[in-house]
Amino acid sequence: MPEPAAAAQSVLAELGYVLFLPEETGGLRLSGKPPGWLAPLWTHLPNDGLLSVAEASPFLENFLIDAAECWKKGGAARAQSGPWVEQDRHGAEVQLEATAMTIEGEPILLLERLGAAFEAKKSVLQRARETVIAHQRLNSEIQKKEILLHCVADEMTAALANVITSLRLIELEDNGPRTKLLLGLATQATHEQQTLIHRILGVFEEELRNAYDASADTQAGTKWNGILQRALDFARPLFDEKRVRLEAPAPLASEVRIPITPTHFERVLTNLLENALERSPADGAVVVRANEEPESLLVTVEDEGQMLAPKVCENLFARWEPARAAASPAAALRLHFCRIVVENCGGEIGCSPLSAGGNRFWVRLTKSNRAG
Amino acid sequence: MIQKKVCLLGTSGVGKTSLVAKFVHSMFSDKYLTTVGVKIEKKTLAVEGTEVMLVIWDLAGDDDFQRLQTSYLRGTSGYLLVADGTRRVTLDQALELQKRVAENLGGAPFILALNKADLAPRWEVDEARISALVSENFSVTKTSAKEGAGVEEAFAQLARRMVSPA
Repeated sequence: MPEPAAAAQSVLAELGYVLFLPEETGGLRLSGKPPGWLAPLWTHLPNDGLLSVAEASPFLENFLIDAAECWKKGGAARAQSGPWVEQDRHGAEVQLEATAMTIEGEPILLLERLGAAFEAKKSVLQRARETVIAHQRLNSEIQKKEILLHCVADEMTAALANVITSLRLIELEDNGPRTKLLLGLATQATHEQQTLIHRILGVFEEELRNAYDASADTQAGTKWNGILQRALDFARPLFDEKRVRLEAPAPLASEVRIPITPTHFERVLTNLLENALERSPADGAVVVRANEEPESLLVTVEDEGQMLAPKVCENLFARWEPARAAASPAAALRLHFCRIVVENCGGEIGCSPLSAGGNRFWVRLTKSNRAG
Repeated sequence: MIQKKVCLLGTSGVGKTSLVAKFVHSMFSDKYLTTVGVKIEKKTLAVEGTEVMLVIWDLAGDDDFQRLQTSYLRGTSGYLLVADGTRRVTLDQALELQKRVAENLGGAPFILALNKADLAPRWEVDEARISALVSENFSVTKTSAKEGAGVEEAFAQLARRMVSPA
């Protein structure tokens, strides 16, 4: 039978652990016999078992700084390196993790060759990350298809409006009974087509609501200052091109968090900025303001464009409809998207003309409860 | 020969490991294999007549599942901030990460690598966004770990900036 200490070390080696004792010179001295996998890994490990860490592993060398802190504290303090990969002299990869601790007043470093448990964790992470990437791609596809579908619906409705107008003009003429009958059928068919398009847009709006529904990652809240900065960065070259001045607010003194997915809110801001840019005359200015209220954050985007009638403001964020065919479909879609995203997060969005000229678009979002 | 520690930073799935594999071993695989923890590679470059050994720390993607351990950044001379051009959100995440690590790395030089340039038709990062970043003094380069485009240049540019800071 082996001595108890030797037996314990054999058990440790069998479980994939190797025990090192730190030397004052900065090296690590192996305690006991090295397991079979260690020799091909660190050929620098001489017979006396003193490992030159700097030569053996830059990762371990870096970790020894944290380990030294841990040994200085003593007691129950522990430091873990986290997993890392080394390649042995045969080209095989070995996953390792080191733990520094103090046992009976003596500093030790336990090196573990990670096995099945690590592989299982890696496999879970692999699947989780693949799912995240797939989710992001899907979201992106939904956005593209949403725009495409609205464009198609827009084209169809515009063509249909021309047909309806033509039919009405023909109706004004002196038509025989057969022509009147055919006109009636044609008018009925066009109205059915209009209803169908409205239904398609209705179904799509529902899908859009689901896609942009407040998701789990909004629970911790989105940091306002960073989002605004990114939206401004995106918009600024467009403003420069049109020679429209973009006046941005100073960052808020406290880090305000709002319960909205960052990419969605960035897109809301970008849409509002693009909308303001479209309305602005060359050499005009667009002013963005952010006011922190006790329970909410109010963001306003003011342009110097033509004043909108209050009635127009009321319907500006509504879904695009033939009745508003004169409005730009792209602009209508942008503002409609803003409304869906903001309202899904419990916020409000609106527009009002400014007495001095121009218009103010505003978004009010309730602040997140959780900081972090 | 001088030695410089380089870290690859970015969220998961942007191609950090693929960039290192292309640069060090001239290899590429289409299969996505997530990195857990750290893998270190080395490669020597000649920079302005000086041999420079890059000790490249390929760090696991910083995401909701694993956060970057700032102790890994100790002694870093420069870093490659990697984003996937086909996923705009990864650029946003890279820029957030850059702000976080700047506290640890101070003014260490870095290159923003917009990877997956071979998938140009699927890109979500447009030229206006890139121009805006350049105007903020970001060193932006498009890379393709698959085809190798821009990979050597990104590391070489970083090495030059580490050896001869502007």
